[in-house]
Amino acid sequence: MTASTLAFSHQARHWGLLLSATLCSLTAWGQDAPQDGVYKDRIDWGVLMDMSGPTSASQGIWVHGFRDHMRKINEAGGINGRKINVLAEDNRFNPATDKIAFEKLVSQTPVIAISGMGTSVSQVALAPTIKAGKVPIVGTYTATKALSEPVSPMVYNGFCGYKQMAQAGVGYHVDKLKLKSAKVVTLAIETAGGKEYHDYVAEAVGKLGGSASHLTVKVTAVDMTPQILEIMKLKPDFITVYGVSNTAILTMKGLAQYGLNIPTFGITYLGAPQIFQSMGSAAAANYKFISCFTPGGADQTPGNKALSQYADTIGRGDMKQDINYVAGWISAQMAAEALTKLGKNPTRARLIETLSKGFTVNTQGLTAPITYTPTNNTGPVVFKLIGYDFAVNKFKAYGEFADYEKYAR
Amino acid sequence: MFEQVFFSGLALGSIYGLVALGFAVIFKATDVFNFAQGMFVVCGAYFAVTAISILQLPFPLAILFIIGAAALLGVLIHMVLIQPLSGRPMLSVIMLTIALSIALRAFIEIVFGPQGRSLATPMPTGVLMLGEVRISYLHLTAALVSWVCMAGFGLFFRFTSVGLLMRACADNHEAVVVSGVNVNTMNRLAWGIGSTLAAVGGVFLGQLQIASTELEGIGLLALPAVVIGGMQSIPGAIIGGLLVGIIEQMAATYISPKSSDIVIYVLLLLILMVRPWGLFGQRELGRV
Amino acid sequence: MNKTSKPSLSAGAWLWLLLCAAVLAYLPTLLTERAFLGMPLSNTQLLNLGLSQINLMLISMLGALSLNYLTGCAGLISIGHAAFFATGAMAAAVFDTQLGWPFPLVLLAAALAGALAGTLAGLPSLRVRGLYFVLSTLAVHYVVTYVFLEYQFKYFDVVGIPYATPRLGDWELNTPVRWYALLLPLVVLVYWGLKASLKSREGRAMLAMRDHELAATSVGVDVRILRLKAFALSSAIASVAGALFAYYLSNVTSEAFNILFAIQFIAMIIIGGMGSLSGSLVGAAIWLLLPSIIGGLSPQSSESNEFLGKLLVEHRAQLVQLIFSILVIVFLIFAPGGVAGLATSLKNAWQAWRAKP
Repeated sequence: MTASTLAFSHQARHWGLLLSATLCSLTAWGQDAPQDGVYKDRIDWGVLMDMSGPTSASQGIWVHGFRDHMRKINEAGGINGRKINVLAEDNRFNPATDKIAFEKLVSQTPVIAISGMGTSVSQVALAPTIKAGKVPIVGTYTATKALSEPVSPMVYNGFCGYKQMAQAGVGYHVDKLKLKSAKVVTLAIETAGGKEYHDYVAEAVGKLGGSASHLTVKVTAVDMTPQILEIMKLKPDFITVYGVSNTAILTMKGLAQYGLNIPTFGITYLGAPQIFQSMGSAAAANYKFISCFTPGGADQTPGNKALSQYADTIGRGDMKQDINYVAGWISAQMAAEALTKLGKNPTRARLIETLSKGFTVNTQGLTAPITYTPTNNTGPVVFKLIGYDFAVNKFKAYGEFADYEKYAR
Repeated sequence: MFEQVFFSGLALGSIYGLVALGFAVIFKATDVFNFAQGMFVVCGAYFAVTAISILQLPFPLAILFIIGAAALLGVLIHMVLIQPLSGRPMLSVIMLTIALSIALRAFIEIVFGPQGRSLATPMPTGVLMLGEVRISYLHLTAALVSWVCMAGFGLFFRFTSVGLLMRACADNHEAVVVSGVNVNTMNRLAWGIGSTLAAVGGVFLGQLQIASTELEGIGLLALPAVVIGGMQSIPGAIIGGLLVGIIEQMAATYISPKSSDIVIYVLLLLILMVRPWGLFGQRELGRV
Repeated sequence: MNKTSKPSLSAGAWLWLLLCAAVLAYLPTLLTERAFLGMPLSNTQLLNLGLSQINLMLISMLGALSLNYLTGCAGLISIGHAAFFATGAMAAAVFDTQLGWPFPLVLLAAALAGALAGTLAGLPSLRVRGLYFVLSTLAVHYVVTYVFLEYQFKYFDVVGIPYATPRLGDWELNTPVRWYALLLPLVVLVYWGLKASLKSREGRAMLAMRDHELAATSVGVDVRILRLKAFALSSAIASVAGALFAYYLSNVTSEAFNILFAIQFIAMIIIGGMGSLSGSLVGAAIWLLLPSIIGGLSPQSSESNEFLGKLLVEHRAQLVQLIFSILVIVFLIFAPGGVAGLATSLKNAWQAWRAKP
């Protein structure tokens, strides 16, 4: 009995392999795939993000922004005669899937470069491979120390960092409220990023003579009464929120419920219109988010108009206001500009060479100019505080990027 | 401060109790451990989004729509998925409900996108002051509706003929079949009720924060609620839900927010070791 | 019926075995070079698979085998399997990252830690059965992952616990091919070991216990000790798999061992067929490789504007999940015995067809 089942299970396995061998012989042999992802009529560019997992609410939208900008470029003829083909791999926020997807983009369906990489754990795990490898990461969604320090010619951050978010947000509020020794509360979900963000906030506040307390909340929270009661005890001058959509919504609703009028700002990732809409105009009156990107439709700069008009024509009228969409769009812009500089013969090596010499991305108003130098790959560093105008259902900014430049130091 | 935490726990627990009640009804009737109950909660929130924001129905009609759609979903799932698997081992059916929740989640994300939608129901906002304690009207409404539902179903199971038949069905299938009752109809009714209860919970959760597929995680806290209260007991599920809500808030306030989940699961372990049939359940007799 | 003490394989079976061995040996070259005997193959022809995926599949096979041993053979349903992976990862963190022990000793320590954790997790089985026991394993899962999280936050960075590249003497496990060379024999070894253990006296007692506990007790089987032993062995294997998993990813947080991770092993053994060890190998392969295969079949081009094209490209990730879960549902409805059940019925049908006059 055992022998025949063993033989049969081996048979079953062998049949499977035979089937795939047959598949091989039935179809034509594959052409010699260029190792760089550059073909005669197209260039393959990789994206590695969470498109169906717990953070897909923001990361999925980023991918849409990235894809749409590339689509706009392709409709206008592509870059130097080649269309950009976006190969987006879903990692479901799972480091094992991330590792598989990364390998896929590097050697199975090779791409010239990768954008995104939204899982911090995977960034840390893959950092040695990336830095020693051949595929550059152009425009990350999140930044980790392992990948960003020391500065590597293989990595270019594409999203505002937590440190800069903390500095700008704290600096603005301390100035505006004229605080000598500010008391701040960081309300964060219990993840790696949350703790890191609080450390930066505490550092920024400490430099200005104040102190910051750290409150945590779980990701699937439904009610923040314990945290609000704690806030009532601490009596902060302003609050900063780090988390997912419901973290911000529950915080503001809770504050409103207890009649607390405390200015609050959230991180850039919390810049989606549905977050404000869910809070309601009363609760959202005290809430803004700090952002290095401008939501689509919030102002009339050339970059913003171009994004808005294109988004409207392809049915992304609502999505264009989501900050993650804009971030993806801008990363694609960065990618496209880098490719344009390479001319008719792009290769991975030449891409890395061009990028590492330093370059500036001018997004025509969507962000402050983003400058990369051989010693600084931080990405966007200048911010604005953005709130929601319920009268016209659009975002509005508090000041210009230039007003906030002093906080970037 | 203690009363504040206690009342917020009670409000939260009412919603858990509602979802847990739906779970218990399904379990009692069809012996299925429905892992997709969390997704039924999400479906409820998205039915609300469809009715209010997309179809722009007036609120009373929207409520009818939500209840109707949720009941239909439950009935369909029983007809298409659960009925063919009756008699199969428990693990296969559990796996089916897990696969179902994955499929539902993917479908919702294709139709609505992964980013979550704000729910704009005309439910009351504002705060009620009872002495030192502040209770938001929304929490109060959620608690009231939950209690009405639970009381309603308690009466339904106790006093209507259909309810009595369902209870009989759950206790002894064969006897009921012999009396000429269509067991499948009873089971479908149970699934319809179970998914409707979850959907109502979902509407409140969506209004309290945001309608997104992430609500599934919250819906799954109904599981320990049902076990602590007693898997086969309807009042047990409700009490279990309230307890879980209160314990969660208390642990988050007096220990640490991180600990609230672990406290509940340690309690679950203790109950399973000491009194596995839950606080209100009945000791099960096994036959050889 | 001839009674042979050693099962003899026919010449045909030996040929199949050799062929399989040859294919398995060639597989890493095939997937790394992306060419068959020098002729290059496209990604679709290789079913959108890579060697990293195969390695992770092999690690999961260890998990599926151990869970099937526990659930399918000993009759103890557990959804806390991720907890034992976490135990192994934690053991590896303590003994390697913190104490610097050599790799083989770390794996041994992981196995012992897993056996201990398994015995403790099996204790509720002395008190409760069936669904209630399943729930106790769920609770165990949350407790263990909480401990892992606390441990990680206390001794390591919030971003995860790092693991150095493992080495056997001078031989470093730093390429997918080397991992394959380690994992494949390990899986075969564990498979043979578990199969042999099921043929032993205790193994047969376990199967009896699964089928009818009271009857087994009546013939003198001590079910309580047997259950704990099954749990200990199963958890030891899972723990070693967890340590290997942590080394392979080189950086893990407790999130890697969440409830979804545990559930996927249940899926593997159900798809493979409960009680069939070879089935769980197939189940693991299907669960891990099928999403990639489905994903590889859909186009990646962002060009087309019509509805179907848009759906395939923009919602590709969700579509893969949808198709995959529907396939699982269909499979569960129509093939209750899993792949092993299907294989048996196919074999019976084939033999019945051959036996027709």
